[in-house]
Amino acid sequence: MVAQENVIEIRNLSKVYRDFWGRKKVQAVKSLSLDVKRGEVFGLLGPNGSGKTTTIKMLLGLLFPTSGEIRILGRNAADVQKNEKIGYLPEESYLYKFLNADETLDFYGRLFKIPARERAERADRLIKTVGLDVARRRQLKEYSKGMTRRIGLAQALINNPDLVLLDEPTSGLDPIGTREMKDLILQLRDEGKTVVLCSHQLADVQDVSDRIAVLFQGELKVLGEVEQLLELRNETEIRTGHLSDEAVDEVKAVLAKHTSENSTFQRPRADLEQLFLRTVRESGERPGRRFTAEEMAATQPTEGNNDDSAPSADADTEDNPG
Amino acid sequence: MEYELEPFNWLLAIGRWGSVTGAIALIAVAIAFVASVRLGPSGLTYFSQGLTDFIRDLLSMSPTRVLAVARLTLKEAIRRKALVVFVVFAVLLMFAGWFMTSGNNRADISVGVQIWFLLTAISWLILPAAMFLSCWSIPEDIRTRSLHTVVTKPIRRIEVVLGRIVGFGGVLAVVVIVMGFAGYIWIQRQVPANIKEQLKCRIPVYGDLIFKDRMGGLAKQGINTGDVWDYRSYIEGNTRARAIWLFNDFDENMLSDVDGDGRGDQLNLESRFESFRTIKGSADSVEQGLEAQFTLVKNVREEAFSVFGFSPEFRQFSTELLAGQFQNASTSLSEIASSITDGAEVLEPSDCKYFYEASRVAIVNMNYLGEGLDEIKDGFEDAGRAANLIKTKDDTAAFDNFSKTCARLSELLAEHSDHLLEVMPRLEVSLPNVRVTEYHKGQDQVPIDRTLTFTADYESLARFLASTITEQNEAKKLVSGESLTEDLARQLADTAGMSILNSELLVDVLQEELDAEILVAQDSMLSMANKISWINYFDQLVRSERLTSQDPEGWRLTADIYDDLVFRNTLRIEVACMNDQMFIGMARPDLFIRLPDNPFAVGYSKALLCTILMLVLVVVIGVTASTIVKGPVALFLTFGVFVIGQVFHGFMSDILAGQIESSGMISSGVLILQQRNPMAGVDVSRQTQNIIESADNVSTSLLYGASRVIPDFGLYSQSAKYVENGFDVPWSTSMLPAILTFFGFLIPCVLLGAAFLKFRELEAK
Ligand SMILES: Nc1ncnc2c1ncn2[C@@H]1O[C@H](COP(=O)(O)OP(=O)(O)OP(=O)(O)O)[C@@H](O)[C@H]1O
Ligand SMILES: [Mg+2]
Repeated sequence: MVAQENVIEIRNLSKVYRDFWGRKKVQAVKSLSLDVKRGEVFGLLGPNGSGKTTTIKMLLGLLFPTSGEIRILGRNAADVQKNEKIGYLPEESYLYKFLNADETLDFYGRLFKIPARERAERADRLIKTVGLDVARRRQLKEYSKGMTRRIGLAQALINNPDLVLLDEPTSGLDPIGTREMKDLILQLRDEGKTVVLCSHQLADVQDVSDRIAVLFQGELKVLGEVEQLLELRNETEIRTGHLSDEAVDEVKAVLAKHTSENSTFQRPRADLEQLFLRTVRESGERPGRRFTAEEMAATQPTEGNNDDSAPSADADTEDNPG
Repeated sequence: MEYELEPFNWLLAIGRWGSVTGAIALIAVAIAFVASVRLGPSGLTYFSQGLTDFIRDLLSMSPTRVLAVARLTLKEAIRRKALVVFVVFAVLLMFAGWFMTSGNNRADISVGVQIWFLLTAISWLILPAAMFLSCWSIPEDIRTRSLHTVVTKPIRRIEVVLGRIVGFGGVLAVVVIVMGFAGYIWIQRQVPANIKEQLKCRIPVYGDLIFKDRMGGLAKQGINTGDVWDYRSYIEGNTRARAIWLFNDFDENMLSDVDGDGRGDQLNLESRFESFRTIKGSADSVEQGLEAQFTLVKNVREEAFSVFGFSPEFRQFSTELLAGQFQNASTSLSEIASSITDGAEVLEPSDCKYFYEASRVAIVNMNYLGEGLDEIKDGFEDAGRAANLIKTKDDTAAFDNFSKTCARLSELLAEHSDHLLEVMPRLEVSLPNVRVTEYHKGQDQVPIDRTLTFTADYESLARFLASTITEQNEAKKLVSGESLTEDLARQLADTAGMSILNSELLVDVLQEELDAEILVAQDSMLSMANKISWINYFDQLVRSERLTSQDPEGWRLTADIYDDLVFRNTLRIEVACMNDQMFIGMARPDLFIRLPDNPFAVGYSKALLCTILMLVLVVVIGVTASTIVKGPVALFLTFGVFVIGQVFHGFMSDILAGQIESSGMISSGVLILQQRNPMAGVDVSRQTQNIIESADNVSTSLLYGASRVIPDFGLYSQSAKYVENGFDVPWSTSMLPAILTFFGFLIPCVLLGAAFLKFRELEAK
């Protein structure tokens, strides 16, 4: 595979919510441009109200962009045919509460015109996958939050989609559920599918995402590969077997001059939580600016060495678009 | 009730539907265009994309997905206990049954009231459910966002709308059917056994109604007794006034087969006349009612030639033709022809116009009379055409030409007079008088045997004798040797069904004629010395009263309703009032041919079907409204449309058709404010009046628009009225318009709903 094709292309996307009289209420997304490549897991992050859900809804054609363009699976957002290959787990599971799990999957399966036998097989498999086997005949109105989440996930996968959009998939899930969800996302990626997810569980996003974007008040603040973004360039971490105190002293002495073959040398990683907090803080202080991976990495604060003014040192690296 | 008698003109309706829907579609597209262009340059792309997308959605609709949504809807209705309606209904029926029977034990509480109660209960109980369900479902789906999960599947928005409609429609249909079934059993138990035969579906065949005034002239309406002028017209008793029903598509199947031999042998008429008295009379006579006489009339000459009488100059010609005096008519015509050549200037171009029209009518009617008339038809054709060319009084050439063709026609009439007399009969069969019960006391049934016996008048007697004698003569049964067959009187009495007294009289007369050598017996056949036609011969005999009946009963002849009395598929029934100074009032539906009844279940199911259609139409409107506004607003809209369509639609159409005097909405308002009467007009300046008038024009156009986009819900309750009144629900005047109206609204509503749902954001606002 030479160049990875884009499953989603967003160009200059903006969304203004208006009230009944057409007056502007809030600009939820501002001039957003990003691509999602086939086969990757893409994390969309941002504080509450930063426009993640709005973006996803525009991708699905539930909301109409105020301006800008969207291509999704090579089609228009308004084109229903794209939905054949898309699975969507809404922010909260908006399902029909009077149906039970089986009926729910059967209903959505029918919308894809999946033949009866296959529909039943898939439903059965998915219900087992999401662990609802015991509750499959109970109406959804009796489900707990996590159970509703699980059936929501199952319905998103009923059509064996190429692109899965998950809006806060782990909210409400127990730790095991969260673990399973992560495994599932990785499994989907291994099957060559593309996953876009929004989540506030940063550790989870960090575990599964290939790339992330951070939105803040509708603006794209950070975009890049997780690996790169979390790299700490101005530090080196050495990992080796157990050393005695003397040995440590010795190593320190030696390190002052040269390196040892047995030791591993790598840049230490910050965790995503730190990146996130940092982005939000920076964005709040200096609005209208976008940060590059290098910039974020170079100024990544470490415990005990918190230097808030660091990024300002090379503030000219990249200009904020638009 | 008022019955709809005119068959629904569905071609016209579909055409009108097409233009209205097309106009609405164009307006919608135009609005969309303007709205998207306002967005800036990219708007045009949005517009074209939206339009192609919408059309693509239409073309890729899938029943699977529609049914999936419909199933969902059905499940929802069941799980959400919408079926509580059933229980309410059952309870209501129980109460009603208890009230209606034990209340005062009146068995005579009419069957109609019970049917009315049942059908009304069914539709009005379900109606609120239909409105609530349909107006709430989509807004609720949007509010709870469950629609988000649905529309992010490959389902088209139009499938969501249609699926909802089908689903609710299905629910309602099931409810109506179950209730209807329960109701059917209820009504069967409810109606006492002795009046159970009132549970039936009569199938009426209505005719056209015209009148003859007291002088015998044709008229569109009878007399106004100040009662309900528009509706019923009155005929005066003991005059030549007649009410004439023309059953234009009469066929043999309209005769009921009473004896079950597969051949119709009875004509069942049912009448319901109003009586009006100018003198009180005794209480007895009021109780007895008035007497009416029914006469079946076949008058081919009148059909063919009466129009000539419209022009004063040809009136005599027409009268002679009507009387069958073709020789005289020929003379009259040739006199007119020569007066034209004399330059006497008797004819106006308008007379010629009438002549032209009349000759068309004559030819059309003669086309039904079989062979041998080609020459005379050509004669009428030529004369008519020549008459039509006369445009001005001084076009001598045209008048000359007309004169020539008239002279020719006159010759032809003389030449063919015998044949014409033969093929153009006039036959009147009067039935024994019947009593007319008062209008509100029910119907009179008038069964008429297919074979009618009647006392012959001159013409029918001559015609009858001519045909009998010709028949016997051709069978060589009249003559043996040089004289009449022995025992001919008995033979004629047996074969032709005349009384022995009369047949003896006939034989005597024939013998006298033989003796006088007017008739000749030769070669086993009877023939005439001077070769005139038999019908003419007998006509002369009858008129010279040589054949006046010896039997006190007169010459009793028989006629077959279908074979003898129907001309051009038309059966003509004239009704006369027999009481001096009394009047009988009638309207078109007051006399009809009653075909064999259908079982009650047939009309009842049709009424239920109409109820279902009505409820589903409500659902259609509710669902459409709910795609753009929230539940309560949608409910309000739907309810409004329903009420207007149910109560005011007929009124609107009447105003538009000019049947109700209306001086326009606004000027009426001004009139009321100024407390003036409509004749006086509004008291304002000329200018204000102009303004009011143009405003009224606008309001009339709005009214027209409203009457086109609001369905006529009255159509659906009408079907119930038929059943209440013991009629079957007619197909062409009731079922067809109900069904077409339904689809006429379904299609644009679904499209509109789909467009609303597609081009709006699915966020609760
Ligand atoms: N239907 C709506 N009408 C008006 N404003 C809205 C609507 N939906 C969202 N918004 C606003 O748009 C902005 C973005 O909301 P959005 O739901 O996209 O945020 P989010 O990133 O998904 O947040 P969260 O993490 O809380 O889910 C917010 O300011 C929100 O108030
Ligand atoms: Mg969100």
